[in-house]
Amino acid sequence: MWQVYVKELLELSRDRKTLMFVILLPVLIFPVIFGLMGLVAANVTANKQAEEHRYVIIHAERAPAFAEKLFYHKNFKQVSTELTDPEALRQAVRDGKFDLAVLIPADFDASMPTLVQSQWTVIYNTAPMLDLIGNYLKDLVKDYSRQLQQARLEAVGITGSQVDAVLEPVKMNKISSAENREDLGEKLGGWIAYLLVPLCFMGCSYPAIDIGAGEKERGTLETLLICPISRTSLVLGKFITVLTTGLATALITVLSFGGWGYLIGSLAGVDVIAKAMSALGFTDLLLILAMLIPLTMIFASVLLSLSIYARSFKEAQNYIGPMSILVFVPLALALLPGVELTWKTALIPMTNISLCIKELVKGTIDMGILSLVIASTVVLAGVLIAVCVHWFQREKVLFR
Amino acid sequence: MIEIRQLAKAFALEKGQKLSEAELQDVRYTGRSFCSVRDVSFSCARGEVLGLLGPNGAGKTTTLRMLSTALKPDAGSILLGNADVLQDPLLARRKIGFLSSSTGLYGRLTAFENVAYFARLHGMSEVALRERIDELFTMLDMHSFASRRAELMSSGMKQKTAIARAVVHSPALVVLDEPTTGLDIMTTQTVLDFIRGLKAAGTPVIFSTHHLDEVSSLCDRVVVINQGISAFDDSLSAFASLSSKGDLREAFMAVIKGEAVSCGKSM
Repeated sequence: MWQVYVKELLELSRDRKTLMFVILLPVLIFPVIFGLMGLVAANVTANKQAEEHRYVIIHAERAPAFAEKLFYHKNFKQVSTELTDPEALRQAVRDGKFDLAVLIPADFDASMPTLVQSQWTVIYNTAPMLDLIGNYLKDLVKDYSRQLQQARLEAVGITGSQVDAVLEPVKMNKISSAENREDLGEKLGGWIAYLLVPLCFMGCSYPAIDIGAGEKERGTLETLLICPISRTSLVLGKFITVLTTGLATALITVLSFGGWGYLIGSLAGVDVIAKAMSALGFTDLLLILAMLIPLTMIFASVLLSLSIYARSFKEAQNYIGPMSILVFVPLALALLPGVELTWKTALIPMTNISLCIKELVKGTIDMGILSLVIASTVVLAGVLIAVCVHWFQREKVLFR
Repeated sequence: MIEIRQLAKAFALEKGQKLSEAELQDVRYTGRSFCSVRDVSFSCARGEVLGLLGPNGAGKTTTLRMLSTALKPDAGSILLGNADVLQDPLLARRKIGFLSSSTGLYGRLTAFENVAYFARLHGMSEVALRERIDELFTMLDMHSFASRRAELMSSGMKQKTAIARAVVHSPALVVLDEPTTGLDIMTTQTVLDFIRGLKAAGTPVIFSTHHLDEVSSLCDRVVVINQGISAFDDSLSAFASLSSKGDLREAFMAVIKGEAVSCGKSM
């Protein structure tokens, strides 16, 4: 078995594709992802914040204080229009003549105390995810409303701190029980598994194809089968090889994730990454790696079984290609809101690992459930290895 | 000595596989299976070279695969000396050297590494395997490309490496499936000389071939397999005598057409 293992490793170490999947990809993917995240986030926000939006205001004379606030806002530029009809204004916004139309009712009078709420209309494109116009307007209207409230209350003799007591009789001060780490873990933990697990799968897939179907295609399998070595030893030697490459990918991935995360977070000053990395310790990274071991065993046994069944390299790729998409399904399940690590979800393969990684990142892992996740994954991996060994004994599979 | 008796092997047809008219007429197709080998018997004694002949698809490779334990027969027996190959395949594999019809080398390993890998699988020590590889590389004139990767070798180099790999453990029986196919004249000669060397050392050799000149110059015994049955099993001279002119091609055609059958032992 070890002779097979050593030879397979030697051969794979001379293969460029294997080296690319096992070493290069995990080393480079994180700087690319982190770098892109940092750059794109910084650039998009900066560009959006520097954008100037052209606006028209109808009946500005009815609310001069508001019109003035809008006029002096750094992100707004007033343009003129003859239009007053809401539908015509909407069409003008759609046509790009201006970006925003604010319609103040003709009967609005800021100086007259009234108990009727005034309905203003704003027209702009609300589709963009980053609703900057909406945010700016919300702040302006809030300020202006507060100004009116204050004036009206002062008119009836309510001043100073009494204004706050009337406008906001109860103020809630929120104190979160969650640590910064838990908060970050909830947001980022699931995504970490989403990055790590597919890389482990990729680390196993190419070597599995090469030493299974590839061996059949090259005609070396037949020669190997007539050596004085049991088929169980033979398949276990191959299995351990695939497991090694998968684990090497996992190790390099975790190291790359930790290393690049630290470098980009602290040295390049990308805030969100620096916060995430400061929350994670060396032990957490080790535990994440430990979670990936039984998972990689599952990948190695399934991929090797499929590869041995295939007649050729191409056929194996046809089987394994769709599988790489299937890997994302249980991972996506773990990202759904409300899906938590429980005694039940601890038994769902891959979803359990993903949820566990999330809990590890949050720092809220239950050791009992963690043990169940590892045990159930190891048992499943064992069953799949047994299937793989059985598969390798069958002439129908080997000589298809 | 190896003795093969009444070997048979059938393969299930693929689901949905449709048979042609010719296949429907072929007696080897029964129900949903194809009987590749129906009844093959022959033996090969120490120091004997046995030529296994037959048209394409006759069952030669399946027979050799059963002989080498890669496939398990449905019926029959294989005795290698006193050992039952089917009962103890691991023991048999230690005693048999097999060269498949494809060279089957690991492209990213060198000639030395390819041969050494199989020597290690046969349980040879590092010292023993180095000595043996050196001996084989000298015999087959392989030292010049010992450290070249198989993916960069010529067909002749590959075949020499495959032969060295097949016999690195000094097997008691050597089985070669079409060892000279696609080789140039020089390499073919090296391979044939190597087989002669094995014969001289008393090692029985079974080799399948389509080259009747090789049969004529090397073989002591000829077995012709046709439609999964050993249709002829006798000495080379008995085979040649099937033709009035001693022409092996004519003799072969006579066996295939069913005009001549001999399963005697006239050596």
